Amino acid sequence: MNSVIYHGPKKWFILAPALFILAAMTIYPVVNIFIVSFQDWNLLKSPEPKGWIGFDNYLRAFQDPDFWNSVGVTFIFTIISVTLSIIIAIAIALQLYPKGIYRTLLKACLIFPYAISPALKGYTWRFMLNPHYGVIDKIIGWFIPPLQDAVFLGTKAGALFWLAYTEIWGWAPFMALIFIGALDMIHPDVFSAAKIDGVNRVQMFRFIKLPLILPVLLMVTLLKTIFSVKIFDQVLTLTNGGPGQATETINFFIYKNGFKFFEMGYASAQSILLILLMVVFAAFYIKTVMKGGVDA
Amino acid sequence: MSNFKKILQKLFSGLGLFVTTFFVFFPILWLSLTAFKQAKDAYSTSLFFDPTFQNYINIFSNPNNFGYLLLNSVIVAVITIIIAIPVASLAAYALSRFHYKVKNVLMIWLLSTQFIPPVVIVIPYFVLFRTLHLMDTRIALVLMNLSFVLPFATWMIKGFVDGLSITLEEAAFVEGCSFLQVITKITIPLAMPGIITTSIFILIQSWNEYLFALILTRNNAVTMTVGLNSLVTDRGVIWEQMSAAGILIMVPIFIFSFLVRKHFTQGLTLGAVK
Repeated sequence: MNSVIYHGPKKWFILAPALFILAAMTIYPVVNIFIVSFQDWNLLKSPEPKGWIGFDNYLRAFQDPDFWNSVGVTFIFTIISVTLSIIIAIAIALQLYPKGIYRTLLKACLIFPYAISPALKGYTWRFMLNPHYGVIDKIIGWFIPPLQDAVFLGTKAGALFWLAYTEIWGWAPFMALIFIGALDMIHPDVFSAAKIDGVNRVQMFRFIKLPLILPVLLMVTLLKTIFSVKIFDQVLTLTNGGPGQATETINFFIYKNGFKFFEMGYASAQSILLILLMVVFAAFYIKTVMKGGVDA
Repeated sequence: MSNFKKILQKLFSGLGLFVTTFFVFFPILWLSLTAFKQAKDAYSTSLFFDPTFQNYINIFSNPNNFGYLLLNSVIVAVITIIIAIPVASLAAYALSRFHYKVKNVLMIWLLSTQFIPPVVIVIPYFVLFRTLHLMDTRIALVLMNLSFVLPFATWMIKGFVDGLSITLEEAAFVEGCSFLQVITKITIPLAMPGIITTSIFILIQSWNEYLFALILTRNNAVTMTVGLNSLVTDRGVIWEQMSAAGILIMVPIFIFSFLVRKHFTQGLTLGAVK
């Protein structure tokens, strides 16, 4: 909605504070790390950059197996957490979509896991997965006795899976809410008509519900992917990147280089590479949102 | 449909609801139970124990002093809201009501902030705050929080202002109201529910923030989420106190997120999903 009530410098005046902060929080850091990424700078050795070294930081990243490890970890983590959270979210949505008192109550509380601080999520699961007194170990032990004392966070695959699981726990219920919203938008007559035509439950999902919520599903997948690539808090509190480097995601790797080793130049080069990766997702996301979003 | 099939279907949907409930709430339940356990019970999986408040007393006393961390979390969140809301409201009003040739560029710029990972933004600010002696201060945290809060708040409030009719503003303008009077006396009061909702979202995000506080604070400005780290000691993690601190972080957020649950999905996807 555009108004014609005012055309003048004031329209820039009231936008100025926001633009100033926005510039300080986007242009300043990106330009800054872009410059630093071409410099030799370890903060422990000198408070100022030591000099220009061209593309050395970038070459170092490309030749660093640990950097590629973090790319691989982020990739696998993203695939697991995106796929599983969508499947579980759909399962929850299909169950809670029908009306009912208990279902309504449950729906109202579905936001809770998502609202919990990610750092706390990590610690909560680290506690529950402890091989000696962890409750999840115990429960899994009931069903699969050989796994009773399994050190889940001690194996590479286990740690990565449970890291993804903490994220799924937060996201699946939240995504389910979005899907329920999308299902609610479909006129109930559609379902009754299908029922009269003798459509069974599986067909109802495959040919009616799924196609109708597909735009929302794609949007949520994109959103979840972006958040998965950005994962950091839980990595630190659940596994601290371990065992070894099995759960070092890109963000964690940049954190380690920047704030444990204080390799500012190297961390900046990695950051630029990460931003380039994000730009690809951003383009798709912005395109959808600028079109006015997806109706759920 | 036969009776047997009906019973089977009921059983299945009941089981499904149980599994869902378990999946969603069990970790929260377990943390809540542990928070009231004595140390000896916390390291067993028993459901029966003598409840105690000792864990809360412990985290509020030396050396953890969660009272102070709680204060930091509250102050950082409140100041972030106080700065972000007026700035975001004005920007939202401008973007909703005025015509700019570069409006699309501005909107994309707002959205693009979601794609710069926080760890990237904090690198140059870490260096800057060191030189300015702003390390370990609450104001440094507030400034960093603005990086993700302001675009989000502007986008959200703009959504609410877009929904308001413009006729009243035009009438007031014709009656001789000044430009700022129109905003402060008409638009802002009408958009108040949206502004309050946005404030709650800012509170939630600032409260849960971890990375900036981890990197930029040491002693004076440590918030509760980072305070959790201090319960990881040389002799292991003090889980019963960790749980108590967890409850302290979790419960206020549950209350606030419950209040804005109608806007929850829209709020946290920046309006991408309506």
